[in-house]
Amino acid sequence: AGGGGDGLGIDEEIIITKKRIPIPKLDDNRLLSDPGIPRLRKISKDRLRFKGKGHEYGDIARMLNMYQLWLDDLYPRAKFADALAMVEKVGHTKRMQMMRKDWIDEGKPRRTTEREEED
Amino acid sequence: AQTTLDEWAKDPVDPEIRAHVYSLITALGGIGDDGTYSLGDDALLCLKDLRKWLKFGDGQLNRRDVARCMAEANLVKGDLLEILAKISPRAVEDKWRHKLAVATLELLVPLTWPFEIDPVEATVNHHRHGPYIQLAQIGYKRAILQFDRDRTLQTAVKIALPSMAVPLRERTPRDEGIIRIALYFIRNITMLSPPSSAPMDIDEAEVSRSATVDTFQEQDIFQVLLSVASSIGEDFVTQDVIILEILFFLLKGIDAEKLFMEDKKLNSKNANELKDLMQKEKAMLAGYARTAPTRHNRFGTMIWVKRDDEKVTTISGQDVLGKAQASMQKMDQTKKWNKPSRPGKKVDGEQEREEFDLPVALTSTARKHIKTFVEEFLDSSFNPLFLHLRKAIERETERVETRHSRQYFYLVSWFLRAECARQRTMKERAADSKSAAVPTAEDESYGLVAEVMNQETFILLNRFMQKSQDEKAWQDLNAGMKCFTQVLLTVHEMSESALEEDQEIAENIQNRIFYEESTHDRIVMILRSYNGQGFGYLDAVTELSHVFLRILERYAKQNVDLQIRSKKRTRKIKKKQAQTQGAEGEEEGHVSDTEDIQQAQRTVSERKFDFTRFAAKFVNQSSVNTFVAYAKYYAELDTEQLKRVHRFFHRVVFKMELGVLLCRVDILQLFTKMTKGPGSLDKDSAAYKEWDDFVKHFFRQVVKRVQERPELVVEMLFSKIPATMFFLEHGYDREVTVRT
Repeated sequence: AGGGGDGLGIDEEIIITKKRIPIPKLDDNRLLSDPGIPRLRKISKDRLRFKGKGHEYGDIARMLNMYQLWLDDLYPRAKFADALAMVEKVGHTKRMQMMRKDWIDEGKPRRTTEREEED
Repeated sequence: AQTTLDEWAKDPVDPEIRAHVYSLITALGGIGDDGTYSLGDDALLCLKDLRKWLKFGDGQLNRRDVARCMAEANLVKGDLLEILAKISPRAVEDKWRHKLAVATLELLVPLTWPFEIDPVEATVNHHRHGPYIQLAQIGYKRAILQFDRDRTLQTAVKIALPSMAVPLRERTPRDEGIIRIALYFIRNITMLSPPSSAPMDIDEAEVSRSATVDTFQEQDIFQVLLSVASSIGEDFVTQDVIILEILFFLLKGIDAEKLFMEDKKLNSKNANELKDLMQKEKAMLAGYARTAPTRHNRFGTMIWVKRDDEKVTTISGQDVLGKAQASMQKMDQTKKWNKPSRPGKKVDGEQEREEFDLPVALTSTARKHIKTFVEEFLDSSFNPLFLHLRKAIERETERVETRHSRQYFYLVSWFLRAECARQRTMKERAADSKSAAVPTAEDESYGLVAEVMNQETFILLNRFMQKSQDEKAWQDLNAGMKCFTQVLLTVHEMSESALEEDQEIAENIQNRIFYEESTHDRIVMILRSYNGQGFGYLDAVTELSHVFLRILERYAKQNVDLQIRSKKRTRKIKKKQAQTQGAEGEEEGHVSDTEDIQQAQRTVSERKFDFTRFAAKFVNQSSVNTFVAYAKYYAELDTEQLKRVHRFFHRVVFKMELGVLLCRVDILQLFTKMTKGPGSLDKDSAAYKEWDDFVKHFFRQVVKRVQERPELVVEMLFSKIPATMFFLEHGYDREVTVRT
């Protein structure tokens, strides 16, 4: 131990290094969070209404708009096309693939029971 | 005294070198008493000295100072061309003049040798002098093409004529050398093209391809090329690669189809093209006008877009008023951030010069001349030259460099295309009752290109494609693909020929091409592994797979019992055996391990070819991605190319019933952009209707699918996993058949 104030380190200059704020990433965490895929699943159920035959372009345009607004809320900095490419890439991770499989399987039993009822 | 900028700038050249070179150039000669050029007393020695300077000063010390000095001193135009003009009338008869002429040429060839920066050897001097020398060389080309007192190129050939006349066996090395420099001189002049990196202050038309072709015609250079090429193997041997290079730089980028169109038809085609372009522009402007503001730009409209959770987005500008779709687009456009993309790889100088995907336009006279040349070349020289070159490439002769195989395959594809176009016009002319032309059997046969339609060439081509794919030499692969596509198309045209013999040959060739399963696999692999190699490559990939699939489909239909030779790995079975044996005893297991390695070699077996199974291999996520990347260029594609993409997607959705592969938001967005809204395909164009039909049908399918299976909404964001694809497509799991 040194003498007096030296040991406390009061006299030493404090170097302040400014840290850059990390740019938020559009990764699997963000995609799996509440405003991510879960929200997409919800709004698609509530909002997606199709007019059917004769309105193909309108139907698809409305669907694209839904995706665009959803992505704008989820990750506002990226343009639609860029965001789509990023999301697609994230979809290749192991975790996302597991989740995707689960979501699909969720739909399966319901369908089989329906079919049995039809029979 | 006044100082100028020149005095401040340091001379980039060593002053001593400059002094020496300048004094030599001055001693060479100058304008004499009679107003013409008069030679200095020791002109021959001066020329030899200058050559030594160029060779030792630049070559050995690895600088470019001497070349720069010579460019600055106007040596080529002021002296060398004048000397050649002066002595050309009696250059052959007079021994001293001949010597002088050879010495001049020996200086001209290294001066016009295309400048390149060797990444290993280059010193700082190379980079310093590069741009200056490149521009100076374009100046040389212009001076040589436009020189009015002499036909310089012809003179160069004339100097080599005595050596050419000597029979091959009796030629001395010096004779060979003279022939070589004359041909290299022609090659250099053909090859030099304005650099894209430096601006030029001379008219580009004076050094364009058309100007070169016109000069070649005027100075009878085409005749020289023909006579050398047609007697290759007899009187000429090592000159084949130089001729190859001359042809390559003469023909690359020229549209072979247009070359053989009748004048009238070409005119109407050009007129149609102009009409189409004007129509396209009109449609584009109309598209803008529809969304353009109707009032001045400070009108200051601002609107709210209401969103969920009581949120709003503000957008300014009156162009979005009352149009929901426009406001959505504007919201996206005004975002500032762009996804960082990997910077494209820099193309080096050599590749740029070899670039053959850029179309070249010709003037009508140049077109006529080159057409005559190509016809005569096909008639007399194509077979001998390309046979000779193929053998040289196969043997890997010393004079053959890596770029030569690429040039070889590019030229093969070019000439096959030209020959097919020529046959077509001949048939049309014969069908026209007004003309008296009756095609002879010889005209109609494909014998003129037979030397590249044999098994040996196919083997070489297959090897070349495999090698360039393995080495990731994309430009090579591009040339190989173009060649293979053209071979397939030529065989196809042969099979529809009126001559029974041709049909038989075509049948045979197709048998051979389609017999090897490795060929099929390679095409699929190339299509699947596209990864940003540029538009020219993409165009070649998509064309090859389109043509291959189409011709194979037809062939498989005609020959139901088509057999293919497939190479199968037997490793798996052996491994299983090894495992069971391994359980019995370790020693045995060890032995079978080495056996396993030996057995990893492939065995060859024959089996029946099933087109549907093959087509299934063609349709998958990565090949879809390749075609999507191609479709993104839709605004620049012509009708034929758009058709190609359309056929593929049509096959995916309706023939293979794998529409789920296209169920991705970015693809849907691309299709919407192509058919609706500003920037879409021209509604009056031929391709639009097909596309509109396809997109409408496909979209209907998508809507139905999403309604039936809501889980698609999420999956639509991603490329599909193979495991879930079947379920998404059909709505139930595939029944797994257990093999017994």
